Amino acid sequence: MNSTHACLDLALCQRSFDPHALLANWELRQTNAATAVFLGRMRGVSLDGDALRAMELEHYPSMCEAQLHQLATRQSAAHAVDAVLLRHRVGTVLPGEALVLLAVAAPRRGAAQRCCQELLESIKHEAPFWKKEITAAGSCRWVEGNTPF
Amino acid sequence: MQPLATTINVRLFAALREQAGWGCRTMPLMGPSTPLQCWRELELGGEHLPVGIRVAINQRFVAADTTLQAGDELAFLPPISGG
Repeated sequence: MNSTHACLDLALCQRSFDPHALLANWELRQTNAATAVFLGRMRGVSLDGDALRAMELEHYPSMCEAQLHQLATRQSAAHAVDAVLLRHRVGTVLPGEALVLLAVAAPRRGAAQRCCQELLESIKHEAPFWKKEITAAGSCRWVEGNTPF
Repeated sequence: MQPLATTINVRLFAALREQAGWGCRTMPLMGPSTPLQCWRELELGGEHLPVGIRVAINQRFVAADTTLQAGDELAFLPPISGG
């Protein structure tokens, strides 16, 4: 694993955020040749086909932030990238709102894309977040695991 | 009242918290114990940790047979669904 001096800008967001404004501001500080971006939004329909009214995103305070930092440090070192931007919602999220914004800057596209994908997958499996879907009809259901890749 | 040094704090999240009806509890540590023994003692569901339930001590993932220390924060985590 390579050593890392990547600049990590990681945060949880209690309220909705504008991913494009955040990304534009972060991009002002980047001079790398390649940037890979993933933007995930809350779906309006559950995997069972039910219309959704909202989602509650619960997390384990402190452990969640520590895990995000550890995962970003590990992946940025493994892929020798220069900078990582991550914003992840917690609390009540509405359909169409941004859930996660992840951007990775690197000297080459391969490193940027691979780091972005692998960091996102590791967050999905190793960072303690839990989604509770609230349907338009008012029923609630905890989401078991992750959506298909 | 038990002295602080002989207890641990147990935390539950998401579906586990709702099933148990509590999210945080202090329990005495009466000698060498593990997360699995606490799971049984708290009657959280069966003799074995269900598939998909993960354990953290002091906010780090650990195995269910890790030895607990007085003052530890033990957490049982249902399947993660972030991102």
